[in-house]
Amino acid sequence: MQSIEFPLVLFTVLSQAAIGIALMGAVRVAAGPDGGDAKRQWRMVAGLMVLGLIGSLFHLGHPLDAPDALKHLSTAWLSREVLFAGLFVGLAILAALIADKNGSAILSGAGALLGLAVILSTGMTYAPPAFPAVNNALPTVFFLVSAVTLGAGFASWFAGPGRQPLLARIFTSALIVGLVVNLVAPCVWLSGGEVMRMTGLAWFGSSLYWAHIAVMAASLAVIWKTRTIPMWLPILVLFGELVGRAGFFADTIHTAANMGGLY
Amino acid sequence: MKKQYACLVDSERCIGCFTCAMACRNYYHQEEGVVWREVYPLDEEIYPHRERAFFSLSCNHCEDPACLNVCPVQAYTKREKDGVVVHDQEKCIGCGNCIRSCPYGAPRYNPVEKRAEKCSLCHERLDADLQPACTQACPTGALSLVDLAAMEQTSQVQYPAGYPKMTQLNPSTRFILPKVPKMVRR
Ligand code: SF4
Ligand code: SF4
Repeated sequence: MQSIEFPLVLFTVLSQAAIGIALMGAVRVAAGPDGGDAKRQWRMVAGLMVLGLIGSLFHLGHPLDAPDALKHLSTAWLSREVLFAGLFVGLAILAALIADKNGSAILSGAGALLGLAVILSTGMTYAPPAFPAVNNALPTVFFLVSAVTLGAGFASWFAGPGRQPLLARIFTSALIVGLVVNLVAPCVWLSGGEVMRMTGLAWFGSSLYWAHIAVMAASLAVIWKTRTIPMWLPILVLFGELVGRAGFFADTIHTAANMGGLY
Repeated sequence: MKKQYACLVDSERCIGCFTCAMACRNYYHQEEGVVWREVYPLDEEIYPHRERAFFSLSCNHCEDPACLNVCPVQAYTKREKDGVVVHDQEKCIGCGNCIRSCPYGAPRYNPVEKRAEKCSLCHERLDADLQPACTQACPTGALSLVDLAAMEQTSQVQYPAGYPKMTQLNPSTRFILPKVPKMVRR
């Protein structure tokens, strides 16, 4: 989308990491107590979400008027995103205060649902008609895959030993899906209309894109060898997602870039 | 059909002089780099002649505007009486969502105000029965103001080559295509 949009990169990736951890929390609560620490996990969810929301304010020309962004829930996905993100962070803070080590099914279920609503509304916000390559379900898919990968990675910090293999399996599957989707999407764009084709070429020519792919491939190689998620691996994956998201914003081509040319 | 003001862009008459874009600039004094009306030359693959052809473009005052739909603060309104899409800069919080979403690149970011802005078809002038600054200034009659509800449908096209086809938005701008120039061989 022509510029790296650093505040949006921070908000989308950090919020997706937070939502992913909440999703994994729901999986763990559903699977029964595992000796992990749900309270500390909620603290991390709330912290990441607050950081992301603070980051997102830097994207606004008038940050103090941010609450006005709730005014158009009827059609604007951005208003819905603000609403759901606000509810999610509120729930995460509440859970960080009242949850015990084993977590609560109600809090985790509500967190997972609200988190998915944030991902859907973020995905729809970044799927406007002006970007034909992503004027579809792809942003939601990209964001969901990022959330699950980061979530499984960071949730391994708080899970007991009994749940580590499950989280490692989820982490590995999400990495494979992420790699496939990220490699296939630009290939498909190459056979699309002109602006889609330009987007495919821009992604393939982008060091941000290849750095993201390299981090995903390297993380996959590591987990293949170690079988459990090493403490440092989620940090590397977070770096890869930040770089990949910067590429998403910088390298996706706007229809107006080709005005006067064939579409 | 309800009244819908629109620009009719006659590419056969347009000589690419930029007077329309300059008239807009003179009238509104936008910040440097902020452009509401642009004159785009058609690519050679569309118009492969020594003579050039142009589209003078700005906001299309769409029937179902992407800008209006995505704006989280309802800074955009579509006027009932003439279909003009007006941006209220006072309400804008500068999130850039309309800029990202309009496929025609009409809303622009004003780095001084830190808010978006775009052509509102000189709606105050329309209310005073005056022409928009751009159509009034065009020296060849290539850019004119029409009401789609009253315009006789003849050779105008909605989606010429060189202009994004966005049926969901249903942009109101109409075009008359440039003719192939006469070749005189000596
Ligand atoms: S051209 Fe763009 S800014 Fe103008 S009404 Fe249509 S969507 Fe809105
Ligand atoms: S930049 Fe302003 S007008 Fe555009 S969507 Fe954001 S708040 Fe609305």
